[in-house]
Amino acid sequence: MFTHIFSYRLKCLLRNYENIFWMLIFPLILATLFYMAFSNLNSAEAFSIIDIAVVDSEQYRQDGNFRAALEKVSTGDGRLFNVSVVSIEEADKMLKNNQIDGYIVVDRQIKMVVSKTGFRQTIIKTFIDNYMHTFSAVSTVMSQAPDKIQQLLETIENRVNYVREVSTTSADPNNVHLYFYSLIAMACFYGCFSGMREVSDIQADLSPLAARLNTAPVYKLKAFLYNSFASVVVHFAELLILIAYVIFVLDVDFGSKIAHVIFTTLIGSITGFSFGAFVSAVIRKSEGFKTAVMISTIMVCCFFAGMMFQDMKYIIAVNVPLLSYLNPLNLLTDAFYSLYYYDTFTRYYTNIAVLLAFTAVFFTGTYLVIRRKKYASL
Amino acid sequence: MQAFKLAMRIINKNKAQMLIYVVIFFAISAIMSSYSSRESKSYTSFTPAKTTIAFISEEDTPLIDGFKKELARVADFANIPDETEALQDALYFRQVSCVLRIPKGFTEKFMNGENVQIERMSIPNSMRNVHVELCIDKYFNTAALYVRSIDGISQQELVRYLEKDLSETASVEIAAADTESPGMIDTNYFFNYFAYPLLSVIILGMSALMLVLNDPDLKMRNNCAPVKSTSISMQFILAGLVFTVLSWLLIVILHFAVNFRDGFGPKTLLLLSSSFIFAICCLSISFLAGTLVKSRDAIHAAANVLSLGMSFISGVFVPQELLGSHVLKIASFTPVYWYVRANNTIAGLNAFTPDTLKPVINDFLIIIGFGTAFFSVSLALRKQKTS
Repeated sequence: MFTHIFSYRLKCLLRNYENIFWMLIFPLILATLFYMAFSNLNSAEAFSIIDIAVVDSEQYRQDGNFRAALEKVSTGDGRLFNVSVVSIEEADKMLKNNQIDGYIVVDRQIKMVVSKTGFRQTIIKTFIDNYMHTFSAVSTVMSQAPDKIQQLLETIENRVNYVREVSTTSADPNNVHLYFYSLIAMACFYGCFSGMREVSDIQADLSPLAARLNTAPVYKLKAFLYNSFASVVVHFAELLILIAYVIFVLDVDFGSKIAHVIFTTLIGSITGFSFGAFVSAVIRKSEGFKTAVMISTIMVCCFFAGMMFQDMKYIIAVNVPLLSYLNPLNLLTDAFYSLYYYDTFTRYYTNIAVLLAFTAVFFTGTYLVIRRKKYASL
Repeated sequence: MQAFKLAMRIINKNKAQMLIYVVIFFAISAIMSSYSSRESKSYTSFTPAKTTIAFISEEDTPLIDGFKKELARVADFANIPDETEALQDALYFRQVSCVLRIPKGFTEKFMNGENVQIERMSIPNSMRNVHVELCIDKYFNTAALYVRSIDGISQQELVRYLEKDLSETASVEIAAADTESPGMIDTNYFFNYFAYPLLSVIILGMSALMLVLNDPDLKMRNNCAPVKSTSISMQFILAGLVFTVLSWLLIVILHFAVNFRDGFGPKTLLLLSSSFIFAICCLSISFLAGTLVKSRDAIHAAANVLSLGMSFISGVFVPQELLGSHVLKIASFTPVYWYVRANNTIAGLNAFTPDTLKPVINDFLIIIGFGTAFFSVSLALRKQKTS
């Protein structure tokens, strides 16, 4: 009996092209679009060497200290600046054409000319400030301890780096990945369309197919479970294709715990399915209305899980932590995120436990509604 | 005008699904508007750029106090609990660009001239962190000058000297910059964003209409009516135009309802005309989509894929500067790319002369070209179908 129902259901599902479009093709297209749109997203905050110019004046040529300081930060691989020494007219022109971020004029005082405010300009200023501060400190020390000139020169010569990078996690904090995590969470929840279909096809008052099925000598719950199993298998397979595409083609990093990622996807698929079944069983309206309820719930949840505006996930987690646990889409996104980003599993298992609780509630609700239904007329 | 009335009734029946996109647009406009009003851009004086960091000190000494005070000039301190996950989250979501931790015994070792380092967790290769690091090195390298040269200097004295040294700053001159009226950036963003709801709404509405009209039975019934077929076609085209103009008007009105503060100038007028030309182009895209789709379910698929697809790669959601060059190349085969480009050029205009307006007009012409092309293709397809 199981093989019969299961295999025919499988055939039905694989021939339902509309469902395949929404549950497989649409997420694939969306993932590709995310990839195209977001892969350069962090380039604005990345450091690239700053192009500056210095006005070639008499004072600049005579100021050996400043030239030496400038040379130090504009040579080597880890340099801050690319310096070109030009006339003032040329410097003005370069600034206007956005070829440089600013230029330095060495007069009696050192002056900087820029066309706007920003980090690149601020870094130039900090460099000049730094030079002036060292100069000021040297004169103070010389007035206090004139005999220590040797130590002073040595200290200036051997500037030390006072920052050491430590990392508590092996993962790179690449926030672009999160868009893909929430997208997969959304695709998991698109399983609700299958859930809705299964309930419609087992409730005799919802579709003619179900009416026919109810007359057959099959235990209703069994038929529902076998059908549901076929639905989840198809949806899970679609999700695996999506994940494989995202990992291998789009090169999104899910961390090293791949088995956990696949397990999470399975849980997500089941939760999505149960959500659809629940909505379909509880709301006694047209399919169009049920679809609208499910889509809008998913979209609102996606928004709060950070799919459209990433900070939203953080804002909710910090200010209304309860809400982030009541949002199954956020739980799924967060499960992928904690697998990727944390070395510990506490948060991951908490997410999975709450998701399972959601699934249990959805299934129990569905069961209570659809069990032992008898129809006087149809 | 029966055909026109019929078209309007069909569109009216389908308004619920279209309104979803309008509501989403309105909600996002409202959120973005309240969000962006907090940032004001000033180009008249130089204000050093600041970043937000988390600062955790395991000791409390006059030197560290002095350092923190100095650091406050280049960074704001976020109040984040000293827990690994909370700090990691803050970094991931870019609430802070780095987490600095002063280890216990830092001051003592520093005052003894030993090598010490501040621990930092950061976003790799970030411009902000390069600046923070520069400032940290500046402070302690200058301090080291005193510690190495003046024997027995106390922390208080050191901080006092440093305060005096570090108060000097380079003078900055702002060269005649582009004067961009505040709010223009936001207006530009909203007009770019118009592309998404306009496309979605017009494709949904028009395809729903055309699906009904392409029904073979209905077509045959219409053909035997005592009305010229050209008249019927013209009435439907008129209905399409009215629907497009109404959708455009609705979105424009909603935009001004949220962003009334931005004012109204020649740039707004240009942006309005660009969005209007684009709306007409959307109409011909939807005409093509309506010719191609065969079922009601396919309308949603087509509307979603077309509107989201073109918007994502053309710079509607993510600014064009942040898109890769190969993505923009692909995008240039869609009208949305030229629409966004025209808007960006308009927002950057300083003068309105034929010379400066030329690139804008060019983009407009390309959008019109796209519109004509889509329309011709769909006419050709229809011709083929009927013959």
